[in-house]
Amino acid sequence: MEFILQLLLILLLAKVFGEAIERLGFPSVLGEISAGVVLGIFFLGPDSDVLSSFAELGAIFLLFTAGYKEINLKEMRAASKIALIPTLCDVTLAYSFGFLLGRAFNLGFIESLFMGVAFSTTSIGVVVKTLIDFNYLSSRPGTVMLTSAIFDDIIGIFMLTVVVTIVTFDKLPSGIQLLMIAIKMAGFILMMGFLGYKVFPMLFNYIHRMHVKESIFAFVVMVALFSAYMAEVFGLHAVIGAFIGGAILSNVPFAKIEDVQRKVSGLSYGILVPIFFAFIGISVDFGAVKSAGLFTVLVIVLALSGKLIGGFIGTKIIGFDHYDSLIFGIGVMPRAGVELVVLSVGKKVGIITDEVFSAIVLMVVVSILVSPTLLKFAIEFKERSKAQLT
Amino acid sequence: MIKEKIRDGYFHMTDDLSNVNVKNVMVKDVVTVHEDDSIEKLFDLFEKYHYNSYPVVDNEAKLVGIIDQDIILEILMFDRSPRTKHTHEAAIRSLSDNAKGIMIPHPITISSDANLHDVADLMLKHRVNRVCVVKDGKLAGIVSKRDIINEVYKIKKV
Repeated sequence: MEFILQLLLILLLAKVFGEAIERLGFPSVLGEISAGVVLGIFFLGPDSDVLSSFAELGAIFLLFTAGYKEINLKEMRAASKIALIPTLCDVTLAYSFGFLLGRAFNLGFIESLFMGVAFSTTSIGVVVKTLIDFNYLSSRPGTVMLTSAIFDDIIGIFMLTVVVTIVTFDKLPSGIQLLMIAIKMAGFILMMGFLGYKVFPMLFNYIHRMHVKESIFAFVVMVALFSAYMAEVFGLHAVIGAFIGGAILSNVPFAKIEDVQRKVSGLSYGILVPIFFAFIGISVDFGAVKSAGLFTVLVIVLALSGKLIGGFIGTKIIGFDHYDSLIFGIGVMPRAGVELVVLSVGKKVGIITDEVFSAIVLMVVVSILVSPTLLKFAIEFKERSKAQLT
Repeated sequence: MIKEKIRDGYFHMTDDLSNVNVKNVMVKDVVTVHEDDSIEKLFDLFEKYHYNSYPVVDNEAKLVGIIDQDIILEILMFDRSPRTKHTHEAAIRSLSDNAKGIMIPHPITISSDANLHDVADLMLKHRVNRVCVVKDGKLAGIVSKRDIINEVYKIKKV
């Protein structure tokens, strides 16, 4: 009974706070985290097993839905050439900043590696509105940003898998063990590719004829759970399995019927993902943030500047001018969904401490708050400079 | 009224529908879009005809996707839609300048050998209004709910 009330409160507050934040012009994820923070202070602790399981499902479905609804493999192949160098630059620099910050504060090697991963992702959704408002979505930095953000996340998820797998060894893995990780990952991707191109299309041809209610929807959910589980069987993390599971379904027509997509989206964004974000808020330890003062400030500054500088350099290499490079760098600064999944995995596996977790959640919040405003200034700066020249 | 329909046998026609092949009912003269057609051309099509969706074909007349009113409306309203709709895919779609970039790839299809009962079942179960009929990967026609209703009525009259 108590759990039902907890669930009710989490959903209610997540939706109310999410709506309020949306109306203020920011993404609802901020409201959902805030709902968790409020609940964490007054009612709930992060120690409920059932709540934690719901949050884990939320993380799995967040990445599954990202792969299922957002990934267009063909389009990505076409756009990958131009976005490759900026992506590699912003990820490499942000990763290095995270790793070096960890080492500077005497964090363990694995924890520092994880810091790097946590610095690498991007959430483009945060700045799309600003790009639209200034008619910059179709600009060169806008289009490269769109592709780069997806690559950032994919690289982040893969690096997370490597780090999480390394944790399973007590010491640093040898070359052979690293090779084994690569083989496992390749094996999993090959298996999922085979299922996606050969087995699932055939299977869904039968599923859609089944008489039981909601057969396709149920099997799409099963693919999410199956992929997450199989990833763990292969020694990888469930979230990467869910992401790949979603992406391979993008080629299966019956799994992508609009009606089914709506239901999967409803389950994910309506219920599970808000619970996951609220659980992140519940898990934030403000005492830890306070005690880690300078560290928290540096996490925020370096995570944002790593992306900014890396993105700037990367786009300069492919021939952008200063203004467009600045716009690109700011555009890839915000973090949200995938970042929070990476964080929650790190916390659950025991790689990062409460201090690191809470500092990075705060970085996510700051990145969401400042990126749109900074982007607006950068675009206005470019327009003003252009006007002065003419 | 419903009772009268049952008495008249409308609800016992599944066997009859199973005997009707979809290729005998489908519309063969389909208005299609080429994958390289511009968005402007699509707007013209929506203005000229009053279908809800248009199949997209490649150079070899193979069906590669479908474009419906929802997609067009989404593109037109993208800058005014709520932030939650500003997904990566929607943004990419709003930037595309041809049919290939905005279509839904891998549309639901049915083989030209299927019967009307299969199509009706598919439409009702998954809330699909029109289904593309294919033969060897090539678009052979389109069948809509209206076509099936008309066919049922025709069978009944006979």
